Amino acid sequence: MDRLKSDFSTVGIVLMGVGIVINIAMGRIVTTLSLPLYLDSIGTIFVGAVAGPWVGALAGIISNLIAAFFGNPANFLPYIPVAAIIGFMAGLFSRYGWFKLWWKFILAGVITGVVAALISAPITAYVNSGVVGTGMDALTAAFRGMGMSTLQANFLQGLSTDPLDKSISYLLVYSIIQALPNRYLDRFPRAEYVR
Amino acid sequence: MTVNYGLYVPKQSGIHSLHPLTKLAYLGFCLAVSWVIPGTWTPYLVFLLGIVPLSALGQVLPNILSGAFKAVLPFAISLFVVQGFFWPEGTVLQQIGPFSLKEEGLFFAIRGAGRILMAVSTFLLLSYTTRPDELTLALGQLGVPNSIAYVILSTLQIIPRFQTKATTILDAQRSRGLETEGSLRVRARALLPLVLPLLLSSIVDIEERAIALEVRAFGRQGPKTSLLVLHDTPWQRLLRWLLLLAALGVIVWRIYAALAPRFLS
Repeated sequence: MDRLKSDFSTVGIVLMGVGIVINIAMGRIVTTLSLPLYLDSIGTIFVGAVAGPWVGALAGIISNLIAAFFGNPANFLPYIPVAAIIGFMAGLFSRYGWFKLWWKFILAGVITGVVAALISAPITAYVNSGVVGTGMDALTAAFRGMGMSTLQANFLQGLSTDPLDKSISYLLVYSIIQALPNRYLDRFPRAEYVR
Repeated sequence: MTVNYGLYVPKQSGIHSLHPLTKLAYLGFCLAVSWVIPGTWTPYLVFLLGIVPLSALGQVLPNILSGAFKAVLPFAISLFVVQGFFWPEGTVLQQIGPFSLKEEGLFFAIRGAGRILMAVSTFLLLSYTTRPDELTLALGQLGVPNSIAYVILSTLQIIPRFQTKATTILDAQRSRGLETEGSLRVRARALLPLVLPLLLSSIVDIEERAIALEVRAFGRQGPKTSLLVLHDTPWQRLLRWLLLLAALGVIVWRIYAALAPRFLS
């Protein structure tokens, strides 16, 4: 209980807000560079890493709520559970010391990507009737054409992007943590797990 | 106070002055009806009868129509292709080369697009007619902590400023020769020089902002006084409960209708 209270300290709360802003700004940068990635959970992962799973999960939830104001609501609102899990998992990986070695970041990213694909597939299939409204739907169509159900096609479509996207996100978080002086890192509720 | 309010459209209307929770309950009810009651055209009917009149009353009908159209169109196109043409089997309506448009898939796509239309338009109607600070204050009445309200409101205001900052960094890096256009490899290499300055500067600011909040007793326990007062009436409170019960009723009825034949036969 005390741990939770220190996670949600004023610094933790402000950090959550900054993480959310980072998520949304990353979406913008990725669009400017027209990269075939999302990278829109970097802030959530960073918050989870330095402030624990609960602050991370909440950052993911609010992030998708706010993103709905600036982008297509149908791409963000249904996926709130996915964002929450990503933040929660980042907190767990950090708790067990995975945020200290660069290759563990990649592994954590791949695992997060597989889990994200697993959870978003039923959401895409049952809430959005099987489509995500982008060019990625061509892949779903191809899998459907091979005789798969919508759910299977959505899962494979997620699996083809999410692990790569999340491992690159984790690597970016790694470079942020490396570049931040300890003086700043130490202010965060769970700094001892990442430095 | 003049601040950025996200999608809020400032107008004087009865819908704008309703208690946010009343609107939330009504939109939840519409969403439940449109999603749960079967029928290809149900979501469109609920949209016409439930969302359009209220948007007109709230003077945001053009915003709702264009906003919903922009958000639903990419989904509608994808649904038409993925479910209309790649539906595994069914009545073929039209043959185009190796692909065939199937009736079952087409109806599934129409209903799917309708459900997305309802999800988007309820969200937009709430956002267009409700100030975010009133909404978070109302959520506070449901037990959501003040700090969550702070996170939502502060990020809504920071994001436009942050995007300006991102553009500044983009221009600065370009002016010293960073390539941001070209092959995928060139664009991917531009990512780190753009992202790191933006992220590091914002993370470094955190402590200062936390101290600024602390000296204004942000972390203090106990009741807090809000400058904003929400207007609520007894009939609105009654209406909220009725809408909530009606939405639950529709959902329970649907589950019963789906399960009953299996157990009673």
